[in-house]
Amino acid sequence: MSVVAVFVNVLLFLLLAPLFEGVMRKITARVQSRQGPPVVQPYYDLLKLLGKERINSAGTWAFRLAPPAAFASILAVVALVPFGSKLNALGGRVDAVTVIYLLTLGGVSVLLGALASRNTFAAIGASREMVTMVMVEPVLAMTLILGAVRGGSLGLGAAVFSTAARGYSVATAVMLVAYLLALQAFVAKQPFDIAEAEIEILEGPFIEYSGPDYGLFRYYLMMKQMFYAWLFVAVFLPFLRTGAYAGDVLAQLAGTFIVFVLIAVVGSTNPRLRIDQAVKIYAVLVLVALGAVGLAVAGI
Amino acid sequence: MWLISKIKQLLLVSKPGVVTLKYPFEPRPAPEGFRGAPHWDHTKCVGCAGCAEHCPARTIMVRDLCQEIRVLLYDGARCTYCGRCADVCPEKAIAMTPRFEQATEDRNDITETLELFMLTCQRCGRCYDMETTNAVDRLGLTGYRYDSLEARTVIRRATDTFQPGELRTTERYERPTETGD
Amino acid sequence: MDAIARIANELRARFGPDIQGVESPSPTRLFVDIDRRALRGAAQALVDLGARYMVGIGTDEIARRGRLGLIHTFAFDADHVGVALRSSAPAGDPVFESITPAIPSAGWTEREYRDLLGMTFTGHPKPKRLILADDWPDGVHPLRKDVPYNLVPPAAEDVAYRLDEAPPGTTTVPIGPFHVSLHEPEHFAVFVDGETIKGCDYRGFMTHRGIEKLCQTQVSYNEVPFVAERICGICGSVHAVCYAQAVEAAAGLRISRRSEYIRTVLLEIERLHSHLLWLGIAGHLIGFDTVFMQAWRVREKVMWLAERFTGNRKTYGMVLIGGVRRDITPEIRADLEALLTTLEKEVLVLKNAVIGDTAIHRRTKGVGFLSKEETVRWSLIGPVARARGLGLDVRKDHPYAAYDDLAFDVPVVDSGDVWGTLVVRVLEIFESIAILRQALAKMPADGPLLIEVPEALPALRHGLSMVEAPRGESVHYVITGEENRPERWRVRAPTYANLQAVPAMLLDNQFADFPIILGQIDPCFSCTDRVAVIDARSGRRRVLDRAALEGLSRRPAGGRS
Repeated sequence: MSVVAVFVNVLLFLLLAPLFEGVMRKITARVQSRQGPPVVQPYYDLLKLLGKERINSAGTWAFRLAPPAAFASILAVVALVPFGSKLNALGGRVDAVTVIYLLTLGGVSVLLGALASRNTFAAIGASREMVTMVMVEPVLAMTLILGAVRGGSLGLGAAVFSTAARGYSVATAVMLVAYLLALQAFVAKQPFDIAEAEIEILEGPFIEYSGPDYGLFRYYLMMKQMFYAWLFVAVFLPFLRTGAYAGDVLAQLAGTFIVFVLIAVVGSTNPRLRIDQAVKIYAVLVLVALGAVGLAVAGI
Repeated sequence: MWLISKIKQLLLVSKPGVVTLKYPFEPRPAPEGFRGAPHWDHTKCVGCAGCAEHCPARTIMVRDLCQEIRVLLYDGARCTYCGRCADVCPEKAIAMTPRFEQATEDRNDITETLELFMLTCQRCGRCYDMETTNAVDRLGLTGYRYDSLEARTVIRRATDTFQPGELRTTERYERPTETGD
Repeated sequence: MDAIARIANELRARFGPDIQGVESPSPTRLFVDIDRRALRGAAQALVDLGARYMVGIGTDEIARRGRLGLIHTFAFDADHVGVALRSSAPAGDPVFESITPAIPSAGWTEREYRDLLGMTFTGHPKPKRLILADDWPDGVHPLRKDVPYNLVPPAAEDVAYRLDEAPPGTTTVPIGPFHVSLHEPEHFAVFVDGETIKGCDYRGFMTHRGIEKLCQTQVSYNEVPFVAERICGICGSVHAVCYAQAVEAAAGLRISRRSEYIRTVLLEIERLHSHLLWLGIAGHLIGFDTVFMQAWRVREKVMWLAERFTGNRKTYGMVLIGGVRRDITPEIRADLEALLTTLEKEVLVLKNAVIGDTAIHRRTKGVGFLSKEETVRWSLIGPVARARGLGLDVRKDHPYAAYDDLAFDVPVVDSGDVWGTLVVRVLEIFESIAILRQALAKMPADGPLLIEVPEALPALRHGLSMVEAPRGESVHYVITGEENRPERWRVRAPTYANLQAVPAMLLDNQFADFPIILGQIDPCFSCTDRVAVIDARSGRRRVLDRAALEGLSRRPAGGRS
């Protein structure tokens, strides 16, 4: 059963990540009084990109390696996570740090691709991405560490289901705020889509990518978005539980959907910040997250 | 403060609802008086070439094929739909239609050709001959931009006063290496 | 008249022997013929008297008198006077003293005529190519009359513009020729240190369409308005009106009051849609696409009204020499009044949402700052100047069409940054609505749309006309010609003046702010690029592309190829 859950995880993420992206686009369109593209548009986009010719415009192996590496790392992450409120066959063997590592590996792959593409805009994008990674990933780490502190174990189950097991504490509430504020940065939407900033640096790290390579990156980004949205539901909305596996999966998907609506609404009602402005906000977020962990250590 | 202004914005944008049209699937007719593709009424046209003379884009061409047949050709590929032709037509033979979906792969779709039978002058026995003093021909000559009726091609050439050979005397002709001085 | 006499006397007193003639065809225009020896001194003297430099006009008079002419135009905004300093040099020795060191905004004018007419300007700080393509042959000056309008010199390979030296320790970020925030092909080389901009070089004029040359050699007076309208995709009517006014001024024509009012209505409709367009673009440039879409939703109503009124959304095609082509019918008038009511409400909502949004403040306040002194020095115009404490507005300073009858405010802000330009533009939308209401109310009920224009306009008369485009002052200078077309027609779009100061605005800002800093002047590169000749392209790939494209588009009728 728990082996099946691994496949369910991967399949659901692969199948639904573009759908959530489509939902986000539709909501953005509604906020902008537009019809918007059909909800399934991201599937079309991916199919189209994946069906195109592969061009190695930088001519280096690192440039080629980056997209599959990013995609693989996010696949590994979603295979591990306890989707449906239950650890699966793989999730029980790893701890929270593994997930953080794998997520960072995805970010590093993007950096690798950006730097390998030897493009000025990609370089600017990479430096912005790096700052974002260094400043925002700690919030994710703290979220899991908070769970670990409260659960007394670095195991994935304890880290993710601390709220489910022990209910809300002040520390959890503070962390919820930090996570919510960092969410836009996690999923790279306004006001924190700084690394890609289409109008300034033309999608930054991805500027040289096209066709299937770019498709993999897009897919990676969509799955990453879905992961962060799901993680919020799993950690902070533990009452979305039915007891049955299928029911839990559905409940979490519904929660994820709501988080996506939120992301879309915030994203479409804010301008992009500059990196120097964003860094200040990130710094506060990291401090808040650290404070939350401190509170948890103190048992508050 | 920030949150309130955002909530306010959300309320504001929800008011107008969806305003974009499902355009290609739902037609949007042009309003009255719209300047779409011009259309020639061949029963009214007298072949005066006034439209060709006044077309700012020089996209209307008139040529005499023989003594009696004058061809008027309108090529919509470069038309700017200013409607000047319809304005100046003394016979009101040109109407600006509401057609605006003009994209096509075949330029014949946006071309109108009129073969006009020209009456012969009772006095001299010709229609409008090619004497350069003839006002109509002069109009036509300055109005034309096409050098070939069939191919509708513009042959780019320098005027008599400028010899292409002069270019060779300049330093940059072959391979200018110094730029921006 | 006092002001004109004062300026003329001042010039006479200082440069008496060098002044060859003074002419004032109307109470607001002064034309002074001056020897080239004194040109620089006279230009400096005018600026010292408080003049704002507008633009220079180079002319080819070789066939007529063996000379190349250079005309510098100045505006005395407070005195409502436009001054033209006309000078010339023999064709064999076309050397002028550069006025750029004293008047930086003349820099482009002089570089332009260096390219197009082969003039030399001694003491110019940056004598680089401005307009001609990099592979354009030396010694061929396309605006000279012996060069045919359709000359296509062979393209050369491996030619590139040599950019300015990047300051030490900086990286060069190429913005353009194709970049999403530019909309039109232009090249900015931005020198950045980390994310901070330390300098910038500009290479533009990549979309030369040879409009001036074309209109001086090919088309006739009444076709030019339609070509002029296509100088700009946004403020087309501005150029058409400005051209028509210049010709009318030169030929001494006076159009009917009703058609002046209709032109005013046209121009204000254009301003409405242009400012809303800018607001949307500004939102897009700071990554706020909802502002973009909502501003354009409101704008669309203006476009649809324009479509009903003129027959087209954008290229109105309304202006001819001697008047306008269509009347404002009672139905259109009712439509317009209804539109103004809804528009006022919707723009108010938009204004409150945008002006009260702290997130937008964060991206615009203090960004792209330029002091008032610098603004004056660079002769900036339009909302860019009005956001920096200068109350320049051609509609007030040099009234044209029916603006002298209408009461309106000129919003001025002195924050000196992008935020200021945003506020100015939003407030101007309300002023435009007020102007339109008054224009509809005060418009004379009758009067011919088009006056009788004589068969042949008198030749070699000079006309100078200014129109306040949404993005600043447009200047047209017309010298009437003989073959039913202008002898010389010079267009200066507002971007031409404002763009020259963008490097100064960019300095020490964040790279992320580049799009909005450039965006604040509402740049219109195609307006700026109108001159020169049919383009010559370089680079093998592009030449092939062109051949392929031409093959496609010139396929003969009936599928024969």
